[in-house]
Amino acid sequence: MTPAATVRSLRIPSDVGRLAEVREMIRSAATAAGAEPGYIGDLVQAVDEDATNAIVHGHAGRPGWVVVRLAREEDRLIVTIEDDAPVFDPTGVPEPDLSEPPERRRPGGMGVHLARLCVDEISHRPRPGGGNILTLVRKLEPGTKEDR
Amino acid sequence: MALETPVEQATGRVPITVLALDGELDASNFMALIDQVRGLYEAGTRHLLLDLSGLQFMASSGLVALHSVVRLIHGEPPPDPEAGWGALHALGQDVSEGSTQAEVQLCGAQPAVERVLARTGLHRLFLSHPDRASAIAAF
Repeated sequence: MTPAATVRSLRIPSDVGRLAEVREMIRSAATAAGAEPGYIGDLVQAVDEDATNAIVHGHAGRPGWVVVRLAREEDRLIVTIEDDAPVFDPTGVPEPDLSEPPERRRPGGMGVHLARLCVDEISHRPRPGGGNILTLVRKLEPGTKEDR
Repeated sequence: MALETPVEQATGRVPITVLALDGELDASNFMALIDQVRGLYEAGTRHLLLDLSGLQFMASSGLVALHSVVRLIHGEPPPDPEAGWGALHALGQDVSEGSTQAEVQLCGAQPAVERVLARTGLHRLFLSHPDRASAIAAF
């Protein structure tokens, strides 16, 4: 297997006002990697939702940082979202059940659900030294997930 | 990309406020949109057309904003933006308890925004039109 080659990376302070820069970096890097618009839209959605959750629910107003990297490995694009927030695994958030009372729902659950719909795999691991590393994987195929 | 939200007035069978969303709707600006619509309601708006033709991106926080807009224009308190799926739960109730409401309608949604609406079921709450003229005629 060819090692993943980082195409682009961006570090931002924990500030939702900087999310547009993350989206633009993903668009630009995914375009350079040969992805087409439907695919890029899905990837941008997933990365925005997960980066937003890191800032809004992970740092929750405290100072911090988020680093987003995009790499290509054979026929897949791999995005890692790294932060220094308290350890939290969003992949453990259950699928939404709208029949349950709303007070049982964790804030940010909508974003987690949307992100899941937009990529092939999401995995979490604690960051050595503190924080989280979230890895999103999407096979390089034309179209949105619904097009497959 | 920032979000610009110019307002125009139009007249169909009823007076219509047209609010265009130009740019990207995300966690940084969705509360400002809710506040703007609260102000429009207080100024007398009862029929609102959201022109999404210039909306390039909508995050899940934008869904909370759209749902809040519907609640506000109906004279109801918006859901708690921190409620996450709770906000969508309330939306599910809104959808199941009645037919699609007609006081807030959409036009011009681009494919990426339509996908977000469809993936979360929010599209069921809105009448959606291809362009501003056909939307105004539908009020």
